[in-house]
Order: sequence, then structure tokens, then C-alpha cells
Amino acid sequence: METKPKILILATLSGGYAGADSVGQLHANYPSNAYILPVVCPSMFSESFYLRAFERGIDGILLMYSGTDCPFKGGAERTAQIVNKTFPLMKEKGIDPRRLRLVAICTVCTKPFLKEVNQMNDLLRGIGPVKMEMAHAVIGD
Amino acid sequence: MSEKEEPRVGVYTCHCGGNISDVVRCERVMTALKKLDNVVVSRTDMSMCSDAGQAMVEADIAEYGLNRIVIGACSPSLHEQTFRGTVARAGLNPYLYHHVGIREQNSWVHKDDREGATQKAIRLMAAGIAKARLLDPLEPIRLSAKRHALIIGGGIAGLRAAWDIARRGIQVTLIEKSPFLGGHMAQLESVFPTGEAARGTLHDLIDKVTGHPNVTIHTRAELVGMSGYVGDYQATIRQQSRGIKEGFTGIDKLIENCPLEVPDEFNYGLTKRKAIYTAYPGCYPPTPAVDWENCNKCGDCLKSLNGERGLISLENEPHDFDLTVGAVVVATGFRLYEPAQGEYGYGEFPEVITLAQLIRLLALNGEKELVWNGRTVHNLAFIHCVGSRQIDGINEPQPDGQVNNYCSRVCCTATLHAANELRERFPAINLYDFYEDIRTYGRGHEEYYTEASKNMVRFLRFHDDELPRVTPDPYANGTGALLVTAKDYLTWGQEIDAPVDLVVLATGVMPNPIDDIIKLLKVSPGTDRFLLEVHPKLRPVETAVPGVVLAGTAQGPMNIQESCAAASAAAAKVAVLLGQGRVELEPFVAHVDPDRCDGTGECVTVCAYEDAIILAGVNGATKAVVTPANCAGCGSCVSACPNQAIDLQGWSLSQYEAMLDAIASDSLPVVA
Repeated sequence: METKPKILILATLSGGYAGADSVGQLHANYPSNAYILPVVCPSMFSESFYLRAFERGIDGILLMYSGTDCPFKGGAERTAQIVNKTFPLMKEKGIDPRRLRLVAICTVCTKPFLKEVNQMNDLLRGIGPVKMEMAHAVIGD
Repeated sequence: MSEKEEPRVGVYTCHCGGNISDVVRCERVMTALKKLDNVVVSRTDMSMCSDAGQAMVEADIAEYGLNRIVIGACSPSLHEQTFRGTVARAGLNPYLYHHVGIREQNSWVHKDDREGATQKAIRLMAAGIAKARLLDPLEPIRLSAKRHALIIGGGIAGLRAAWDIARRGIQVTLIEKSPFLGGHMAQLESVFPTGEAARGTLHDLIDKVTGHPNVTIHTRAELVGMSGYVGDYQATIRQQSRGIKEGFTGIDKLIENCPLEVPDEFNYGLTKRKAIYTAYPGCYPPTPAVDWENCNKCGDCLKSLNGERGLISLENEPHDFDLTVGAVVVATGFRLYEPAQGEYGYGEFPEVITLAQLIRLLALNGEKELVWNGRTVHNLAFIHCVGSRQIDGINEPQPDGQVNNYCSRVCCTATLHAANELRERFPAINLYDFYEDIRTYGRGHEEYYTEASKNMVRFLRFHDDELPRVTPDPYANGTGALLVTAKDYLTWGQEIDAPVDLVVLATGVMPNPIDDIIKLLKVSPGTDRFLLEVHPKLRPVETAVPGVVLAGTAQGPMNIQESCAAASAAAAKVAVLLGQGRVELEPFVAHVDPDRCDGTGECVTVCAYEDAIILAGVNGATKAVVTPANCAGCGSCVSACPNQAIDLQGWSLSQYEAMLDAIASDSLPVVA
């Protein structure tokens, strides 16, 4: 049986999660290995949260935040800062930084939503499981 | 946080009447979840939100001593509140409920992958159970609320809401962008389904609203700033000058003196008005306004005015003022679809006008004969669904790339109402009605169709992919007459040429462009650009933003009757919300564990909200202290704290870690 990559979508209630509702209402299709969790604002997650997710075997993370429409003061900027600080830490552990992606999705951004999920899925199918990648990094492959 | 009792979880997988179970194998989800730790009860039901579904949860809580409930169903935006209410009725703290979206987020988007959708449902719900184990009972934040509502928009919906709210003893401030109240209704004459005079009805309401001591009205005023939360919103209003102060008496002379003439929007450009103007005789406020876009400050209006000069200023000096309100009613209304250049000959032939223009023409026209462009109209064609029910690929998209695929609902009856009036006033005119479908859906509307049919209005039915064509009539010899050509499916597709003197396009309804207001209030438009209510049946006219409600056509095409009903619904919601003078907010705010906090102050540095977190002495040590009413609940402080001493109640980091582990887990019983 083919093992599908696991995509975690952390989607803001005011943006990405509402966007996922719109995609659902359209009955559009996207891969079923994309698991979506609602978040208030991803600024609550520090770098270690993302690293922990990859260590547990989440192959890709899409942060669907609200971008400039973020209802919280400074929330979008802080999220972007944390994500930027996470990339070098991922590289240190041998994790391809493309596995983490921050993207602004609005309540009716159905096309961008589908595009992002499909692109991440294609990428992960190409680069393989994160656990393999991290194991290779450890043995210096 | 308190000592935790052992979680006893009840988990329910909703079929949603097939919406979920047609794709997700719900029984398998139920069986798989039964094997997870702490799960005492796992069931499925055809419809969890039904009375029977909710009663089942209540009974299980009582019988099995459940203390955590997880339901997988539609999106949490629809029924999370419903089920919090369910568990509360059973005596549990409502925040011990967790909702998992497996319809919009699963069954509806994985139709061709039943196995994948089933496994995904198991994982998402296992994650929900993982979170539920860590839930704590929470209490809502109770705050005092300002008994004052802001209404945006002074059309029929805004006015209706103002009257209903004010009568309940709540202060109302109504702001209207244009210089005059009344909106589109003021431009109508007789209105369906009663045939009453539009402005008569409108002014009865305007008189009541403007005379009510609880109501303050600002015309030429717009919302430019918004902060705060339900019960305590700070709104900033910007008001443009009127140019003429109240009490000025020489109005007629003043308007007469103005040398400028511009198209009069009240008559949809059929007539001209001056750059100092009133909307129509008897409008409110009666004081004219200077049209700042067109006034060139020539000063001619001031000539021959002596004593009252001080009451006029030809400089627009916008001023801002602040207002604290508990709730906001969005009654920003609609605009009419503007046909594209050349669409059914619009903008190309002067004999092609809109229904709105015809209604004004009928109001301005004499009684003997209908005259357009100096010529008597003998033959007239209506075309329905212009800018409504458009199809991608057939109709030309609008400049923003969109097509209006919805029915505008008001145009059919309005068109037939106009046809009947024409027939009555000008019996000699031949009337043709080109339509796709006639939707006289409301009570008393079908009578307009029956009457039109009886009175020799000739109906011709076209198909949506064979739209009628409007071309110059080759036999008219330059007299300006047109030919409407269509395949008529009432006569089995016969090609019909109707020579006419006037083509009337029944243009559809679009929301007013209110991007600024959408941004300020953080409300959501749908893909059709109209604003969204949370749920059409369960939470009508409420937006997802607490304390912000919708009234009238900002929400979708409605006739006057429906706009009034929606406005009264909005008013009732505001009255319930603010009537007690206090509101409850969700307790999803930052919470400090004083045992872990060592007063680094990182949380205070990162927090963007005034007085939400401060450092204070607690039992002799410096600790972070949260003021829940000021905390927005974004969680920035959670990632900033080096000691994991601060967390977001209801959305805690440990809950996310637990959810993530469930999704990542290789040991879940996901495969049958």
C-alpha cells in the first residue's frame, strides 16, 4: 500500500479555516491526506512546535493564516517572524524548509486553498517522508 | 488549573443525513474510536443536531457519567454553539465540548476517495478526543455593554432597524453616506405587492425615526475606524460638510443661482440637477447639500444673499468623531447592476434603458403618451435577468472577473408591476416580455403575472445560452427603432423579431462596494460578494463577529418587505444582546500558571494589547497577570514565554501537541 504524506494544515478561524469551509461548500476535491485543525492565530506556536511536528512524522505543514486581514494586532507579523526563524532550524536537522509554508488564505480564497494543498502534496510526494530525510541527515547521507 | 478528573469521553459521528455518510463510513469511524483510551461511548446518528441527536448526548452524559463530549459533524462555525448548549443542558460545563469538522473539511471534499475520507475522519476525531482529554471547564467573561447601537446605512433596512431598536430603550446612531435618507426606496413610486406609495411609507418611518429621542442621525457620514469588542466597540465616524447649515431659508434662490448642471442620480441620469441640491421634494433632511465632487466654488449661489451668508460655506471640512457602541447593524444596501457597454445594446443605442430608469420615466412622464427621446413609444420590450443568473463562459465577466450567478429575486415582480402600470396608463403600447424564467415567488406576487398575461403582455421565453439580441431595425429608416431577436421556446424555438421603440433591461442587484467596512468590521463576504450570516436558519442575520448583525440587501437580494423583516430580526438580536446592559465573551484568553512564571516579561513585550498583561507582585514574586477583558486571545504570548507558563484557555499548546500526535500516530486503528 502506498503511504501518503501527512499534511497538517493549521488554519485560522478568520481566514484559512473559513476558506476551507468555502472549499467544502463548493464540493471541490483535494487530497484526503491533508488534515486541517482550526487555530485562533498561529502566533501562539514557537519554532519548537513545528520541529516537534516534523519529528513526529508530519511531512508538511501549511500555515493558512489571515495575512494582512489578521484580526489581531501584530499577529501576522509575529507569525511570519517565527516561521522565518524556523527555517534555519529545520535545515540544521536536515529537514527541507519547503515542508513548512506560510500562506494567506481568506474566507473565500477557494482557488488559492486548493492550489496550496495540491502543491504541497506534489512536493511531498517528490521529496519523500520527513522521517527518512531526518534519518539521512543523522547518518550524514 | 484544577485537579483533573479522569476523562470519560462520549464521541459521536454524525451522518448529516448522508452529507457525511455517503462518503465517510461512519460505522467504521465509530468502531475505531471505541478502541481509544478514555472513550466510554461511541455512536453514530443520522443527524446529531436534531432534537433526538441532542437528547441522546444528554442521556449518555447522565447514564455513563461522561465528562467530555466530541462530535464530528459539519463545520464548527455551524453547530459548535448548538452542542455547547446541549452539554450545558446536561449539566456539564459547555467548554468540555469539542467539535470536529468532518463535512466541509472532509466528506464534501473527498467524494472520490471513500477510504481516504474514512481514515481522515478517524484521525481528525482521534485528534479531537486527544484535545478533549485536556479540556478544562471555563467560565465566560462577563462585561458591561454599552446600550447603544450603530447602524450603517439610512435606507429602508437601516431606518426600520433604528426604529425597532430605539423603541426598546436603546440608543441608536444611524450614519448614512449620502446627504439624504431613504436609499433606493425613495426612488420608487408604487411598490409591490400592495401598490402603496413608496415615499409615503418611507416618510412615515423617517418621521418616526427622526422624531425619536433615542435616535441620532448623521448624513454624509462614514465609518473609518473600529476597535474593541462586543458591548464596547469604539467607532470612528467621518462626516463631510453639508455646505449649508440648518435653518437656512433661501433654498430656492440658492439652487437657482447655481450655474452648474450635472446628471441627477435620483432620476438615474434622466434629468439634471444643480451642484447644490436636494434629493427630491420633501426629502430628509430638507436642507440642501453641496455636491463637493462637482461644485467649482464659483460663488454664484451666494449672490443676492445678504443676511444668511454665514450659513453657507463652500469649503468641505470633513471632521472625525468617536462613538462607543455595544453593537453594529450593517445596512449598507445594494447597487444595481450596470450593464456592460453593448450588452443588449446598452450604452450603444439610446433606446436601451434600465428598469430603474423606466420607473423614473413613468414618474416624470405625462399621462397622454409615453415619450422617450422626443418620440412616442408604441412598442416596448422588457428583458429579464440582466446581470443576474449569469453563466461563466456565456455572460461577459465584470471588470473584477466575476459573473453574478444568483437570482436577484426582485426584478421579475418589479418588471411585471411596471408592465401592468404601462398597460393601464398607455393601453395602446405593445408590450413584449423576454424572459428565461418568471419568478414571482412571494405572497401576492403571482397576481402581477396573472394580470400581465390577461392584459396582453406578450411573453417570450429564451434559453440562457441563446440570449436575445438587440440590433437597429433595418426597416426603421434611421428613426432609432430597434429589433429584439430571440428564439422563443413558448413556440418551440421559433425565431422572433420584435420591432420596438424602447428596450427595458431588468437589471439585477449587487451589494454596495463596502470593502472598507468589511475590513474594519472583519465580517465576511461570500463568493457572490454579499455578506454572510453564520447560518440561515440557526443564526439568521448574525455575522461571525459578535455584536455585528446584518439588515437588508447587504446580505443578498431582497425586496422591501424582506429587507424590513431582516432589519427587524437584526434589531431583535441587538435588543437581546444589549438589553441587559452586559455581554458574555468567550473565555479563550491567556492564562498564567504562576508556578511556572518567573516574571521574565517576554509576554508583556510581545503583547500588542494595552493592559492585557502586566507584571505585578504576587505573594512577593514578580509574575505576569492577565486582564481577561483586555486580552484578544491571539496567543502571541504563548510562543514568547521561555517557561511555557502562559497558555491560551480552550486552545492550549498542550492540546495542539496532543492533536498533532494523534494525526501523526502510526498506531491509530484507522484501517479496517
